[in-house]
Amino acid sequence: MSTERSKRKPFPWVQAAVAAVVVGASIVLGAQIFERQLHPESAGVAPAPRVPGAEFPTDTFAGKDVEQPINYSHKLHAGDLGINCLYCHTYARRSKVAGIPPTAKCMGCHTVVGTDKPEIEKLTQMWQSNQSPAWNKVNDVPDFVHFSHERHLQKFLFDNPEMDIKNAPDVCAMCHGDMNQVGVAKKMKPLTMGFCVRCHESNQGPSDCTRCHK
Amino acid sequence: MSKTKINRRNFLKVLGLGGAGAALAGCDMPSTVTLEEGEEKIYSYLAPEEYVIPGVGVWYASTCLQCPAACGTHGRVREGRVLKLEGNPDSAVNAGKLCQMGQAALQAHFNPDRITAPLINGQPASWDDALALINEKASGGNVAWMTGTVSGHQRVLLDAHLAATGKGHHYAVETVNARAWTDAGKTVLGDAMPTLHLDKAKAVLSLGADLLGTWISPVTFMGQYGKFRAAPRGVLIMVEPAMSLTGANADQWVAAKPGTEAAVALGVGHLLMTKHGLSLNGMPNATSAFQSMTPAQVHEIAGVSEAALNKIADTLVSHSPSLVIANASHAAARIAMVLNIMLGNVGKTLTPGASIAADPLAPMMGSSKDLAEFAQNAAAGKIDAVFISGANPAFVAPQGLDMAAALKAVGFKVAIATCHDETTKACDVVLPLSSALEDWGTHVPAYGGKPGVVHLQQPLMEPLHADTRGLGDILLTLGKSAGVDGLDAFEDYYGYLRTAVSAMIGSELEGDWHRVLQAGQFETRAASRAFSAGHDVALGFSETAVSGLHLVTVARQGLYDGRHANSSWLQEAPDQISKAVWDSWAEIHPKTAASLNLKDGDYVRLTTASGAITTRVFIYKGVHPNAVCVPMGRGHTDYGRWANNGVNPLTIVDAHLGDWQSSEIIATASLVKIDAAGENRHLVRLMDTDQQYGRKLVATIPAQQFGRTQGGA
Ligand code: SF4
Repeated sequence: MSTERSKRKPFPWVQAAVAAVVVGASIVLGAQIFERQLHPESAGVAPAPRVPGAEFPTDTFAGKDVEQPINYSHKLHAGDLGINCLYCHTYARRSKVAGIPPTAKCMGCHTVVGTDKPEIEKLTQMWQSNQSPAWNKVNDVPDFVHFSHERHLQKFLFDNPEMDIKNAPDVCAMCHGDMNQVGVAKKMKPLTMGFCVRCHESNQGPSDCTRCHK
Repeated sequence: MSKTKINRRNFLKVLGLGGAGAALAGCDMPSTVTLEEGEEKIYSYLAPEEYVIPGVGVWYASTCLQCPAACGTHGRVREGRVLKLEGNPDSAVNAGKLCQMGQAALQAHFNPDRITAPLINGQPASWDDALALINEKASGGNVAWMTGTVSGHQRVLLDAHLAATGKGHHYAVETVNARAWTDAGKTVLGDAMPTLHLDKAKAVLSLGADLLGTWISPVTFMGQYGKFRAAPRGVLIMVEPAMSLTGANADQWVAAKPGTEAAVALGVGHLLMTKHGLSLNGMPNATSAFQSMTPAQVHEIAGVSEAALNKIADTLVSHSPSLVIANASHAAARIAMVLNIMLGNVGKTLTPGASIAADPLAPMMGSSKDLAEFAQNAAAGKIDAVFISGANPAFVAPQGLDMAAALKAVGFKVAIATCHDETTKACDVVLPLSSALEDWGTHVPAYGGKPGVVHLQQPLMEPLHADTRGLGDILLTLGKSAGVDGLDAFEDYYGYLRTAVSAMIGSELEGDWHRVLQAGQFETRAASRAFSAGHDVALGFSETAVSGLHLVTVARQGLYDGRHANSSWLQEAPDQISKAVWDSWAEIHPKTAASLNLKDGDYVRLTTASGAITTRVFIYKGVHPNAVCVPMGRGHTDYGRWANNGVNPLTIVDAHLGDWQSSEIIATASLVKIDAAGENRHLVRLMDTDQQYGRKLVATIPAQQFGRTQGGA
């Protein structure tokens, strides 16, 4: 074995490594450019920063229209009626997931409000037959990413002296975009690792791998 | 290796740098790594309990049913699903710990091969039809039950059903059992389950009792073992034909010919008497048995050197109090009990046991004797109908018992099971059972814990399959239709159990019931036992295995007796001795292998008087040259998608009954012939080599030096 090894020419791993880095990077950059071309309208649109004491992430993402079992409008509830995000997504401040509001919460208003509207009738019928709506997921991170809503709300909302709870939607908008403007939910921020890391850098979030990849 | 090939090291370097390049830019690659929007469903609660928060786990207490030890568990439940099990820290049996089999209970629950509907002759049927058929065919005559170990209120209902249907018998079958030890305890000291104080012993001699792996209550013993090994470090001596997990941890590991541990124990007694002047008062039978077994004879019978024997005897005397335990055979276990008397361990490291005062709840512990008796009685046409739950006789029975014919001779067979196995295939009716994580029950641990404490099993989640039912519910239904008194008041087993437990804790209050649920256990009256004066039993052993090559079938923690072969986690968990995964092997001593001209990975045909199996060789110094060790648990034919690998050595064990005045199957008495079967294939093992190739991953010192530093010598 050892004699064989001394006869052999050393493997040019430096060159190979450089080549591999170049190939790896160009595949990925290519994919990004390709992706931007898919969603040209998203390029360069940056909402004004709205969370005091924090850098507001500027990236955007033009998500697909995702059909839902009930044609729920964020614009109507959160935008026009001004219901705080945390009223319905009540788990966001208590858990890693924000949660979809339980049907009981919808029915809290809709046993009396808007009962004649077809979408509310649909909801009422589901409620009466003990069925949860099968929502289609819009925002998600892969299973190997540990993201906590609770921790982010703590930092940007509850521990932020310049913020009031009524401004919660501004904090939500950092990662979800301005939900007051859309009807049925849509993905409006890329939620990629680059997106996370840039924001962590500008807002002094933790940067060790194991904080998110547990 | 040719010039153009990249070697492993360079390949990894390139991969690492290339990966770094991709990662630098790749953090922004969208949609290929995140999910496709709208591709997954998310369901909200209708009206959640107040304390339920999605994403936050709630822990509930329950009981592990993966082996007869019945450890207490805590299960983490999130969004209605049980995700992780841990030991219940409040349980004195396992003190917050759980073994790998316990951890894998999740897979038994989520197993994709679960039975989801009742079957009549293999065809899906309704519960009503299945129960009607059972009422018609199994309501009179000799209706038997075959189970594994059962205790608690399930046992109460089962006994009531047996009593109501007539003259049937309850066969409790466990291939991995401690019957040798419990029988010896009863005969010699009048207590079948004495309490062991490993933590107080300065030396422990085990004759084939794998207390860290599979013996009685491994997690209890692991906890005690930790204390036993803490400074001043106790000395562990193991005598067995093939190394077990306990043997691998021993300071002195003594390889004895299969089935001769009893001779070694007699030889130790001989030296204690002649060399160290110990004696046995009022036990002339035992005394003469010890006197007549000289070290020279032990050497001839067991192949254990006189020096090794002297070392054992010396250690036991210099490290007092010691403890001698045994599970190798009835003969060895009796001698172990008498050795404890001779060494003065009784009352120090071996004290009378204590258990629950309510006897009907006490565990009915299984044995292989019941398996043999069932086969005999069934073949003789004495059993009209049988209910089988928690046992797989068609898999564990030696061919000599002809279980297939025995089962055929039983007119009507009902299996109550979570998954199909070799036995359910032979049954007329199969009732789909809830998993252990979906069911209610009470369990009295076979050993350990606080006397009088009963573990409560509560469902950790809603049933995965709507048409399955719990064992207690099925027993309740059967009991009602058999006319058992007092059951009509209860709609379901939960109601029965709650009433029964409330009566035992003397409170009907809702709050007290919740406290029991929260603790996962409750305390009732305990009854302690007392030792009788050492009974002067005849000591000796059955000379069935002193020459020739013998088959040794052993159980390892993991697949156990084969019941966990349908768990991919446990298939993937490397065997504690060979480190092999997903297949069978035969452990053979290098000398034996050399004499037969066998290499690692060679396929061999192992032939006994009862049959033959073909598997590959794993050459290993931790077996006696006279032993061929094949771990049990593999070789299933009908046990779901993960179990069809390896071979089942239990089938070729010769069904010799009557190990030293008992009627157990002798596990080591089958002579075996080895023939090369031609092929050679690499056995897949974690680590694959015992060498470090100079990498100094683990520091080592020579065995002799270790013996000197650790008090072993
Ligand atoms: S020893 Fe038995 S009861 Fe205890 S955790 Fe392991 S499998 Fe479960």
